[in-house]
Amino acid sequence: MKILIRDGDWWLGEQLAASLGDDGHVTTMVPYSAELGHYEATDELVAGHDAVVILGYNNGPSDESDPSKIIDRSTRQHYNLLHAASEAGVQRCVYVSSLQLFDDYEENLTVTEKWRSLPPTDDVPLLACHLGEIVAKEFARDRLIQVATVRLGFPIIQGDRAAAEASSETAAVSADDAIAAIKEALTSDSLAQWQDIHIQSRVANQRYLMHAAQDLLGIEG
Amino acid sequence: MKVLILGGNGMLGPWVIKAMGERHDLLVTDINEKPEGLAHDYLQLSVDDLDGVVRAAEGVDCIVNLSVLRPHRQIAFDVNTRGNYNMMVAARTHNVPRVINTGPHYQLAGPQYEEWDHDLNPDMPPAPGTRLYAHTKALGQEIVRVFAERHGITALTLLYYNMKHTWNLGGPEQEPDYHDDMTPYSTAWPDCGTAIQCAVEVPEERLPSKIETFFVFPDIPHRKFNNDKIMRILGWRPRYHVEALWNKAMRTPPSGRHGAF
Repeated sequence: MKILIRDGDWWLGEQLAASLGDDGHVTTMVPYSAELGHYEATDELVAGHDAVVILGYNNGPSDESDPSKIIDRSTRQHYNLLHAASEAGVQRCVYVSSLQLFDDYEENLTVTEKWRSLPPTDDVPLLACHLGEIVAKEFARDRLIQVATVRLGFPIIQGDRAAAEASSETAAVSADDAIAAIKEALTSDSLAQWQDIHIQSRVANQRYLMHAAQDLLGIEG
Repeated sequence: MKVLILGGNGMLGPWVIKAMGERHDLLVTDINEKPEGLAHDYLQLSVDDLDGVVRAAEGVDCIVNLSVLRPHRQIAFDVNTRGNYNMMVAARTHNVPRVINTGPHYQLAGPQYEEWDHDLNPDMPPAPGTRLYAHTKALGQEIVRVFAERHGITALTLLYYNMKHTWNLGGPEQEPDYHDDMTPYSTAWPDCGTAIQCAVEVPEERLPSKIETFFVFPDIPHRKFNNDKIMRILGWRPRYHVEALWNKAMRTPPSGRHGAF
């Protein structure tokens, strides 16, 4: 597959691209600094790809603090990207979001994809990430592209599951688990037109249930 | 009540000002210069200017957002999506207790609903799809919802579809088409304005919750959309029922001027 990765120029995106490359896929990295307008340049950028990955949160290289620019990136620019992707016949988008959208639910609750997210107003990147989910979902609703929203646990820990376990964070996800889930979401035949999937690592007192990941991606929950 | 109106010099603004001008202290803003003859305070301001919107909201009791931009991809997001973010930051900053948001019906009842069903009502979950105007307005509406829920701001959203002149029942860009198929969600301009007035003035205790959405159109017989909520909760009583558009027994006057229909 040829896969475009938006906002991948930080360690998770680089590891994802390397892992996809190891599997024989070709990736195009679109950095955080790239402006995705609604003109031909975006169309040309997307043409020829089979799938798009948008890293919608945890954008490592960004120190952007202007809320207008942050919201603009996650709404208008994602819209432009998905519009171009749809026009180019790209089949699937994996939108990588965050389980931090559910952080305000108490830890003892059995939160799954069926629960409504609770975006904050003070964390503008997280609010913008939530808006980005909606942008992608509406493209799926209009049957223009298939969308899997993969919400990653937090924090994202470099390394394998043992590293996540060692962090003592109940919602942690290891980079290895996160990358495995994104790769499965890119290729799984079991996904509907639109699908939310929660991903964290199996750690002690694991906070989030992962039935969708088990059923759809075959990932151990 | 001191009311800040964002985008007050567009198509809808003059009707809102006409409905509320003698009842409230208005601060009207728009991206254009002050219109001639406007007898209210005026500030030239684009809704996509965060700092400017926050400054304008100081000391107001209510913010009404009438701003809209439809066809241009960049400006549509700037105005329809980020404009609402700016409004809600302003409301939160100055503890403004109520905001009135506006938009098109399909920011909620998108094609997935409209092309399939009847009795569509404003309490359905939004399904705007990807049409630029609906999509950008729906994102703006989601921002309003999140802020209102988090900070206890009353947020009432009024959704419109087709607006009609009272004098010939034509629309902004079309001639009237009497006794033929019509948009089954059509509202006369003066009534569009009074609906905003009702939303500004409705007592808090009459609202089922702090976040409510209303479809704004008069009683018409199609039953495609449902207007019960705005009548019941806001007490809105439209003066015009655009009947010559849907009742063949209504004579079209030789002058073509319908007056009070």
